[in-house]
Amino acid sequence: MRVTDQQTYQLLLSNFQQVSRNLLTAQQQVSTGKRVNTPSDDPEAFGRIVSTKSSLSQTAQWLRNIDRGTSRLDMADSTLSQVSNLLSRVKELAVAAASGTSTANDRLTAATEVRDIDRQLVALANTQADGQSIFAGTKTDIQPYTVTSGDTVTYSGNAETQSIAVGQNETIQVMIPGSQIFGGPTTDIFGSIANLLAALGSNNASGIQTGIGDMDQAISQVANAQGQVGALENRLGTTQTALTDASTTLQAALSKDQDVDLATAITQLSQYQTTYQASAKALNTLFSTSLLNFLGTPTAS
Amino acid sequence: MSGITNLFSIGSSGLFAYQKALSVTGQNLSNVNTPGYSRQDAVLAETSPVNGQPGQIGTGVEVTEIKRQVDIFVNQQLTLSQQQLGNFSASKDALNTIQALFSDTNGTTIGSALNDFFSALQDVATSPSDVTARTVALSTAQALVDQFHQNDTQLTDEQHSLDQSVGQAVTDINSYTSQIAQLNNQIAQAESSGQQANDLRDQRDRALNSLSNVINISSIEDATGQLSVFTAQGQQLVSKNISQTLTAVPNSSNHGFLDVDYTIGGSTSTLNAVITGGRLKGLLDARDQIIPTLQGQLNTLAQQVVTQVNTQHQAGFGLDGSTGVDFFLAGGTTASTMAVAITDGRKIAASSTAAGIPGNNVNALALVNLQTTTVSGLSSMTFSGYYQSTAASIGSQADQATQNLNAQQILDDQLQAHRAEVSGVSMDQELINMMQYQRAFEAASRIVTTADTLMQTILSLKQ
Repeated sequence: MRVTDQQTYQLLLSNFQQVSRNLLTAQQQVSTGKRVNTPSDDPEAFGRIVSTKSSLSQTAQWLRNIDRGTSRLDMADSTLSQVSNLLSRVKELAVAAASGTSTANDRLTAATEVRDIDRQLVALANTQADGQSIFAGTKTDIQPYTVTSGDTVTYSGNAETQSIAVGQNETIQVMIPGSQIFGGPTTDIFGSIANLLAALGSNNASGIQTGIGDMDQAISQVANAQGQVGALENRLGTTQTALTDASTTLQAALSKDQDVDLATAITQLSQYQTTYQASAKALNTLFSTSLLNFLGTPTAS
Repeated sequence: MSGITNLFSIGSSGLFAYQKALSVTGQNLSNVNTPGYSRQDAVLAETSPVNGQPGQIGTGVEVTEIKRQVDIFVNQQLTLSQQQLGNFSASKDALNTIQALFSDTNGTTIGSALNDFFSALQDVATSPSDVTARTVALSTAQALVDQFHQNDTQLTDEQHSLDQSVGQAVTDINSYTSQIAQLNNQIAQAESSGQQANDLRDQRDRALNSLSNVINISSIEDATGQLSVFTAQGQQLVSKNISQTLTAVPNSSNHGFLDVDYTIGGSTSTLNAVITGGRLKGLLDARDQIIPTLQGQLNTLAQQVVTQVNTQHQAGFGLDGSTGVDFFLAGGTTASTMAVAITDGRKIAASSTAAGIPGNNVNALALVNLQTTTVSGLSSMTFSGYYQSTAASIGSQADQATQNLNAQQILDDQLQAHRAEVSGVSMDQELINMMQYQRAFEAASRIVTTADTLMQTILSLKQ
């Protein structure tokens, strides 16, 4: 086989280019930390990366939703605790007023305090979170409870509930309408208090007695609602844990598809660097192997 | 006497022959790095002898031929290889530009904009009466629309830049074919007088390879050494000293992009569909197949996003009680015409009932669900799934083009190496030849001196 200079240089050049290409890819991988930068780097993995990113974005959003939902339910929970305390106080006052030693005057004094508490309860039933009423059903933009005439309290919210998305086709209720807590199912709380106030005002002992029973029912009704809220908070909590786990798994999957294994990449990079240096060395050696170095200057004979 | 005269002429034939041989060596050495140069050999032979006693006597040496060292088969393979290299490298370049649209390392893509849009809709579902969340949802919708527009524009821009390259390719083809025709003429003239047109043939081979890099060709050499060049389905580009020019003509039924037309005898045919190789093939494929397909897919995705979202949105009620409202402009069902119809965030129909405003979020949740719902118009994939399969398909095409190019490059390197082995110049070999010819030249000059001495001896006899 004839070996020509062109051949030698061509071979060297194409090797150089090959090594340079590899070197560039390795450098890009090490510097970006990513194995897949464009779809063609690994079309199959790229497809998975897009879908994992989409899942991650959804999961992050569900976690955000849960945060919002939890803060609303927490607000409802603490409000209902206060409602419960106030109702107990009303019952105490009613029990004291029901005793045979209570005078009409004592009962009038009790009525004043109960009325005071009643207005506090109305305020609590109008509690807002982020500027939204939490006991108005979906009429979140209004104050659902108003004292219309005398001690009559009217509900102008609705009975609808609100849910948030916490998974694919999965929602959790984050609101219990006031009609379920204050309006039913067993006792109309504000109605009962209005009746009690009327009985206290008219010195009606049997009416006060009825009021005590109503308050018992009201307290257990609010406790029920609190239990519901607690259960929903629980569900949100459990879902949050599951989603956080899922998010970690997705992150790991994404990293596996997308990120470069640094140890391997750096080893590869230094391998290519060595090859590059070897090629350069070969080029250098080539210069000294020309016959030109061994021929004397031509002399005329 | 005739003996001494013969000795003179033998010596001088040597002087002439080795001068020529040294010129050839010099030419080879000077062209050691000339691309496409074929090594030349001075073929030495003894001149015709003359009759004499006791037998024929030699008359010296001559250079009978300056031979060009080529392997015609390898040269043909190299021409074919150029055709593939041109095609694959044009495809690879175009696909690499296109696939950058899907790479989110440098920013937003349609995929990430879709995620952002549905995330923002979730915020609306979670806080349906919150106007800020609604404003954010509208701005992410606008970002999604912008992304579609931008992708479409970038694809159209790339198409225009490919189209310019098509025009350039046609200009290149015409320039190469006219070079070949000219060289045909020069070679025929030189060779008809018995010369070897070595260097002209090298030039013509180079022009032929450059031509092959642009378009698929076949060629055949006639008895006079002239090359006929054909393209596509046998359309003749070069016949003897005449070249047929191709023309790039805007085609109004293809967005005014250039057609490659061939005209002969007054009848014109369009070659686009029958070009099977060279840069032109890669350019036309990318311009007329790959990009329109991708644009079609983006249009389908845009259309489905618009109709699915609108249908669901019409069913709900905005904060202001509006219903039956389109979220996206109903008429804008392509990537370039897509637009957000709503300007007031309060019109986002989160509620499923008029009575449930503002806290009812049932319709917003239904809108959010669209993200994970498969759509029959998208081959039963979700929005994001369809986008992902489009990206992966472009990715694997780009990957394939790069692999094809690399494989062809390796093949081409091997062919080049083979060509270099046959036609390349070896400096060592030429240097040895140079010494050899130099010595022979010195010997020939010694013959002349000797003949001169003999002649002087004879002339001195008379004194």
